[in-house]
Order: sequence, then structure tokens, then C-alpha cells
Amino acid sequence: MKEKIRNFCIIAHIDHGKSTLADRLMELTGSVAKRDMQSQLLDSMELEREKGITIKLTPTRMNYSYGGEEFVLNLIDTPGHVDFTYEVSRSLAACEGAILIVDATQGVEAQTLANAYMAIDANLEILPVINKIDLPSAQIEKCKKEIEDVVGLPADDAPCISAKDGTNVEDVLKAIVERISPPKGDENAPLKALVFDSFYDNFKGAICLVRIFDGSVRAGDKILFMQAEKEFEVTEVGLFKPKMEEVESLSAGEVGYIAASIKSLSDVHVGDTITHTALPTAQPLPGYKVVQPVVYCGIFAVDGSRYNDLKEALLKLKLNDASLQFTPEVSTALGFGFRCGFLGLLHLEIITQRIEREFNLDIITTAPSVSYTVVKTNGEQLEISNPSNLPPAVEIEKILEPMVSASLFTPPEYVGAIMELCQQKRGVYKNLTYLDKTRVRIDYRLPLGEIIYDFFDKLKSATKGFASFDYQMDGLMPAKLVKLDILLKGEKCDALSLIVHESSAYARGRAIVEKLKKIIPRQLFEVPIQAAIGNKIIARETISALRKDVLAKCYGGDVTRKRKLLEKQKEGKKRMRQIGSVEIPSEAFLSILKLDDEQ
Amino acid sequence: MRVYVHIPFCESKCSYCAFASFVNPQEETKYFDALISEIALRSTGEEVESVYFGGGTPSCIDPKNLERVLEKIKQGFKLSPKAEITIELNPNSTTKQKLDFYKRIGINRLSFGVQSLNDKVLQFLGRRHTKKQALFAITEAKKCGFENISADLLLGVKGGRPKHDAARLLRAKVKHISAYMLQIEEGTKLKKLASKGCKKIASEDESAKIYQKLAQFLQKKGLKRYEISNFAFPGYQSSHNIAYWTGEKYLGFGLGAHSYDGKNERSANATNFEDYYTGKVTSERLSQTERDEEIIMLGLRCEYGFDKEKLSFDIEKLPSYKNFIKQKILFSCGNIVTLNPDYYAASNAVILQLLKD
Repeated sequence: MKEKIRNFCIIAHIDHGKSTLADRLMELTGSVAKRDMQSQLLDSMELEREKGITIKLTPTRMNYSYGGEEFVLNLIDTPGHVDFTYEVSRSLAACEGAILIVDATQGVEAQTLANAYMAIDANLEILPVINKIDLPSAQIEKCKKEIEDVVGLPADDAPCISAKDGTNVEDVLKAIVERISPPKGDENAPLKALVFDSFYDNFKGAICLVRIFDGSVRAGDKILFMQAEKEFEVTEVGLFKPKMEEVESLSAGEVGYIAASIKSLSDVHVGDTITHTALPTAQPLPGYKVVQPVVYCGIFAVDGSRYNDLKEALLKLKLNDASLQFTPEVSTALGFGFRCGFLGLLHLEIITQRIEREFNLDIITTAPSVSYTVVKTNGEQLEISNPSNLPPAVEIEKILEPMVSASLFTPPEYVGAIMELCQQKRGVYKNLTYLDKTRVRIDYRLPLGEIIYDFFDKLKSATKGFASFDYQMDGLMPAKLVKLDILLKGEKCDALSLIVHESSAYARGRAIVEKLKKIIPRQLFEVPIQAAIGNKIIARETISALRKDVLAKCYGGDVTRKRKLLEKQKEGKKRMRQIGSVEIPSEAFLSILKLDDEQ
Repeated sequence: MRVYVHIPFCESKCSYCAFASFVNPQEETKYFDALISEIALRSTGEEVESVYFGGGTPSCIDPKNLERVLEKIKQGFKLSPKAEITIELNPNSTTKQKLDFYKRIGINRLSFGVQSLNDKVLQFLGRRHTKKQALFAITEAKKCGFENISADLLLGVKGGRPKHDAARLLRAKVKHISAYMLQIEEGTKLKKLASKGCKKIASEDESAKIYQKLAQFLQKKGLKRYEISNFAFPGYQSSHNIAYWTGEKYLGFGLGAHSYDGKNERSANATNFEDYYTGKVTSERLSQTERDEEIIMLGLRCEYGFDKEKLSFDIEKLPSYKNFIKQKILFSCGNIVTLNPDYYAASNAVILQLLKD
């Protein structure tokens, strides 16, 4: 049986056509009837489909007849974003092979490369596939050469396809069967299953998505999560076709799910190993890691009285996303809310949008921050992810900030622009490699805190979108950081505080007050906006008091017209947050990050 | 009870005017016949405390028509002997003969559409008179024995000096000044100009500043700001105006005229002759919320404010109300709530915030 199974994933740069290919494969193997096809089936969340990117992995099992034999193809989709690198690595570990999609019009991109290397590290057989050959700007030969030169894989016999119109997609299926090896493993050995994802089902509890390496599992079995050290009794095992379908058992080589009345997703860790309690396997699978948030921000309900709804929303989202972390937070400006930790900026954006959409809550998100290690003069060490918790400057011995090692890929003409940008962002130059005539790789060590601001946008504009970027966490480094406070009408607004490098504090303070002046509507009184470090004001702008069309003549007692006009204005009036006596639109809090677009 | 009579005729259309007024003298006879029968039809015998001839330009028509109207009002209502009877006038169509006539038929308050004492500004606005004509008309009115004289000033055209104009008008013994801001209405000549980036139109900020200075000046001179736009020496406030703000009952006769029953029904006559002649009226019943909105909106425009007890809800529970009181933007004294005059220029924002809650 095992010999007829192929476990594979698809790796690709964002927008190179991963989900479209997955759809075509499912259609060709008859896994879904064509009339049921909703474009890009695997991207199940509305938001994913809208953004055209896959965040959450959804596996699917396909049956394929080839050479008179029936094969089972398990497709494990992977998220295509740097925020979810760990999840990608666990998905790869569940496969024997990977399809590497390269867009024939774009060539090899940073994400392609990063993921290809991850797949190579995981000892997967890699099948390059050149996609989008239907486009007039497709350059198949150049693309093949790039795969060979840059990734270092032979690409001569790579299928050239158009996932969009279906051209040559059958070749991909053939290659999967022919070139990817069947899973190894022993059905009779003690159970060893890898959890590569999980989600929450309202009826079945937490569902573990697993790849069975050894042994088999069925309902009624007592199982042990080896890392979490928790025990459960299996209530159901099944396959994804792509909908969940119960089966009697899952055995070595197969991909499916296990349900075990697990109440909380926090008991299920991606990367954990499941075994039988009675007869455990000797060693858990390697590669397990506890995922730590990288980016933090405060989330508050615009309407302060909806705190409990916000809490409810976060709890529900957490059911499906164990990597989301949150703890209650109190802001003098915004009241009760939560400090939330995310895997990255995209993750942050997805969660906040889901809160607004799926739970119909207007929220305020404060400026994202990374987690700083603060060593106080009394020797005490603190982890600070909320700028307003930073101790006074006199009590601080030093602040360590998290660093990343970043690889940037660019055509040679933008090397100068990129180096200038990295230098601006306090980057430490490490290396520069000419990969070929058209592609350069630049390595920098950069503070994470600088990247979460406007790095992506700036990189894009500096290189006309040609450069791409990938990073990994790379330890801590001491830095001269200060807290920048923003005062509105003389009152400090803690939700607008930022931790910034001393050298850029003045420029940042100036830019922020200017930006806030544009964003905060005029009020009934003058509103001074100040930026301060400690007690020192470093920048100031003033919003002059509002004066608006009051003296319209009330012709001949026409009161109705006046009232209708007011009602219309009332409809158009945005909901705002009251900070002290000043009204602030909720986007102000995030906008202070996006400063450079107008300078 | 108050009576408003609309005279929809003008000698020419001003560039900013979006109101029911027409340059159509041949329509006059037919219109006044219709107006007279409307008054007869809607007569109630109630006591009338003020009559207001608005326009359009009431001064451009044959004054005998006004006499007919007043006679009809006297027949159908009980016109109080102390009634304030106002007519709006354009300086260029005001003659000594007409003024004498007005005096004779009982008109006792004149409201001149001066707008500005700068000829260039007047030209831009499409007014037919000059500074000289305006001042002459006021002097003539004084000579004819009129005491209660008001002048309108329009703020918001660059080059205009409303404070300077006001000083001149006060020297001419004007007792009441209405100061309005230029509104750019759809379908007007001004709107076209504005959309082409006309540089003569002042920004809201500039107008607001001019208004503040004008208000300070007038108050220093002893006039009282009894409503955002209206300033008067003691005893010369327009009782007709006040009735609008305080929610009194009024009947409007004529094209496009508005009526209010003092409770919850507002109605308006049609704004074109044809529909007016067939008696078309649009009316609306105010919901409790709409009535509350009006009380707040109108009350905060006046020095008298509004009475909390008149609202259907407890305004003290509104967070914005509490804030405004705390910030001294609103004042509360007994049941009366007033807007701090320093915030008159931003009254809309205050009203909006209250209504939003």
C-alpha cells in the first residue's frame, strides 16, 4: 500500500500560482467535480482568497491512475510567507517531495529560493515546474537557466505549464508519481506521527493534521503528545478529500487527521510527535520548536464598552491559531485592551482584519513593537514589548534589541539603493554575492525593530519592486534606544509611544507630529501635538481650532433643510476615539509608522 | 403666531442665490391673486405678532400688492397693533415714494440687503446696487421716519471689509446687523466659479476670522448677539427671527414658503409657479428624535439656548454633553443650556457631536 502513496507539497513565491495549480491537480484527479470548483479551493479563508495568498495549510488526498495502477497523492499546501517559516518547515517534514513553482515571467525570487533551500534541507525530492507559460512575457529558457544557476537544480525536463488554462498539468502528476519516492516507515513499529498543523472544530474539538511515519492509529487508541506530555483518547481518524472523511485507521506513510476530544488548541503544538501511551516510540521526531511571537501590538475596541467582545474574538481566533498570543493591557489613553504577539506583520494584519470582519468590531491597533531585553541598573532583566512599560532612562543599564539576518535579492542596478536603505536602518553589512548577471544577493544583519516599520515599502519603492527579501532571527544586540512619547494637548498618549534609536528620534518625532497633524481632524479648540523624549520636547505642531459653516442664512424659516444637512453630516461623521479631550480617528495609531510616503 | 410672505421676484439673479426667486415681472398679477387666495384659504383668525415680507426682492414689486396682502392678513387674522412688520429691500429699488408707502401701510421694520460696501465685491456677487446707493437708501429711510432698520452683510468674499462696512452702517444709524457667510450652493453661478478655482472666495478659516472680529466689534459698539448671525441694539431684535429659533408657530404664504405648527409638523409650498398655483404642499411630521434635534440645533444658535426639559430624553446622560460642560463649551443654568459664544463659529461641530450620541 505504502508504495502507492506520494506525499508532496507545493512551494512557491507569493503569486507564482501555487493555489491555482493545486486547484487544477484536484480537478484533474477528480477530487472535486468541476461544477463544485470554487477557484482556489485550498485557500479556505475569505481573507486568503482576497489577498491571493495562502496562510493556513489545508491538505488534500487525491486518487490518480497511472500506468494501470492507482496512486494516492497527498498534497500538503504550505503558507507562502516568511512569517510562517516554522509551519512551512513542519509541512515539508511531512512530505517526500516538493513541487517548486517558478513563474516564467518572474524567474526565481527570494521566497522561492528560501523555501527551496528549506526543502533541500528536509531531504525532499524537488520537482521544478515552470508556470504561467500562457503569458506573453513568459521566458521559459531564461527561467530554466535561473533554476539551474541560482537554485542549483536541473531543470531540463521541468514541466512547463499554465495552471490557469490547464496546459501540461498532467505532466506534473506524472512527475509526482515517477520521481517522488514513496514514504518509508514500518506499519508494525510503535506509532510515530508528526503534527504539522491543527485547527479547531466546534464538534470534534482540536483536530490534529498528521503524517504517520511508523505504526498505525485508530479510534479508541490512547495517545501521547510527546512534547506537550498530554494524553488523550482518539475519537476519530480520517482523511481530507479535501473535506474531512472518517476512516478506520491511518497507517505509516499516510496523511490525515486525528480527533481526540481535545478542548484547546494550546495542547496541540505544531511539530509535536504523537505516539501510543501504552507502547511509545523511543524517540520523538526532530525539529520541534516552540514558536515565539516576533511582533507585538496593543489591540483595543474603538468602543471601549466592547472589551468583552474583543476578548471573545481573540479567544475564538486563538482556537484556530495557536501562535496568536495575548494578555490584557491597560492604556491610560485607550482603556482596557490586549497586548498581542504575532509571528510577523502579515500575521498581525490578518488577525486584525479578521477581528474587524468576522466579529464586526472596530478596533484600534497601536504601533507594532518588537520585544526588547532591558537590563536595569539594579541588575534586573525585563522583556519589554510595550513601549509604555519601558522603565525611566535613569534606571536602564542597557537595552538589547532583537536582530535578524536578512538576505536581499536584487538586480545589480539596485545594489546601491538597497545598501543605502539598509545603512539607514542601522544594518550591518555582511556579504554580497553575484548569483548571475541579473541577480545579486546581499546579506545584512538588521534590527528587527527597523524592519517592522516601513522597510518593505521602502525596499519596494527603492527597487521598483524588483528586490525581494527574506530574514531569520539572529540574536540580540545592545543599542542606544529611547522612548519617544507623543503628547496631545499636553497629555501623554501612551498608545502612541514608540521605542526608537537615539539617532533617528528627532527625525521620527518631527515626522510623527506632522503626520498626526494631517490625520487628526480639527477640534473645537487648538490642539498642540508634541513629541518628547523624557521631559524634553523635540517637535511640535498645532492643529488650529475648528471653524465651520455656521452662518448659513435660514431662509424664510426653512428649518428642515438645515436639519437634513446636519443629518447628512452626521452620517458622514467617522467614529473616533476620545483621548483626553481630543478626538482621534482610529487609523492614527498605525499611521505613525507609515511616515515616509509623504516626505 | 407669525406670518411669512414670500415675494419671489427679482430684477436680476445674484451669483450666489439658489433660492426661489425669478426675474419674471409679467407673472406678478397672477402670483398676487394666488397669494391672496392662499391667505384667505388658510386664515385662522389667530393673533399675528409679526409679518415678514421676504424674497426675492419685495422692494422691486408694485407696493400696492403688498398693501393687498396686508389687508388680507388683517381680514383673516388678528394682526396685533404692536406687530413687527418687516420688509426686505434692495437699495437700488428703494425709492422715497415706496418708503412713504410702506410707512403708510404699517410696515415698521426695514431689512436692507446691503451685503457689502465695496463696489467690487457687490459686482462679484451680482448685486445691482453700489455703496453710494446703499447708504443713500438708508438715509432716505431714516428721513421717512423708519427707526428699526437692519442691514445684511455677507462674509466670505476677498477684498470685502465687513467690520469697516459695519462701522459705516452704524454711523448711518442702522440698529440691527445680520452677518452671514457666503454659501456656495449647487446650481448657482458662484458654484461654477468656485469649481474653476475662483480666488475671490475666502476660505472657511478666513471667513471665520472675519466673523469673529466683526462680532467683537459689534458687541463693543453695544449690539447684542442674540443669535449666531444676528446683532442688535437693545430693543431692536427681530421678534420674527427669534420665533424661528424658539419653535413658535408660523405660517408661510407664497412660493416655496415654509410653515410650522409649533409642534411636529413642518410644511412647504412648491417652489415653482405652476405647482404653487395648484396648491402643492410637501409636509413632514417630525419624529421625536427629529424634534429633539431641532431643539438642540436651533437653541444653540441663540443666546437663549434651549430648555433641557423640552427634550424627550435626558441629555445629561450623553457623554459628549458631559464633556462639553466640563470643557466649558456648553453652559448649563437651571434647565437652560447655551453654547459658549467663543464656540459659535464651530457650533455645527458641537451640535453634530451631540446628535451623534
